[in-house]
Amino acid sequence: MSPWGANDPRRRSFRRGAALVTSHLALLAVFALLVSAVFAALMRDEPREQIRTGGLMFGGFLGVAIVLSWLLYPLPL
Amino acid sequence: MPSKTTTAETARASAEPGTLALVCVAAWLVPGAGHLYLGRRQKATVFFVALVLLFGLGLLLEGRIFPFELSEPLVGLAAIADLGLGLPWMVARLAGAGAGTVTAVTYEYGNTFLIVAGLLNYLVVLDAFDVAMGRK
Repeated sequence: MSPWGANDPRRRSFRRGAALVTSHLALLAVFALLVSAVFAALMRDEPREQIRTGGLMFGGFLGVAIVLSWLLYPLPL
Repeated sequence: MPSKTTTAETARASAEPGTLALVCVAAWLVPGAGHLYLGRRQKATVFFVALVLLFGLGLLLEGRIFPFELSEPLVGLAAIADLGLGLPWMVARLAGAGAGTVTAVTYEYGNTFLIVAGLLNYLVVLDAFDVAMGRK
């Protein structure tokens, strides 16, 4: 439980204006989904092929991001 | 086969310079409009929904629509990328949206969404051009 109120700027999840999802993984997933959909539609003509390609690309985006994040985790920042 | 003849005729008709220009401008202005003109409704829907959503989310995430500042090469390049989305970009500029809040946690996410939406639409324009030329 955060010691700060919901409208306190010191609170980590404080946002001005519209409340938005700020989880890195959630934003990454949304980004990956939309970009995969566009690339799948560009690369394939058949809807079934598009779904397959888009799914693979989406999984690739997420998988690579998670693997990279664990590889970078021990590095001091 | 009748369908092949029709496709070939459509491609030939679309390959005329005036039609090509119209397809490219339409595709740039409204994501998917070029494909819609060429009869590819399903692709047009995917492009429109995905790219407008990407652009809208970029604005909601407090990203910045970059100005054309040639003295700052990276800002200039980002502006060219943003410009790729045509009409949504114009509407956002006229509405004063996309000022960007540097202090917002989501600022860089917003920028990425906006820039990638524009760049992807350039690819969509090129794809529409290829379809109109009968290459795809």
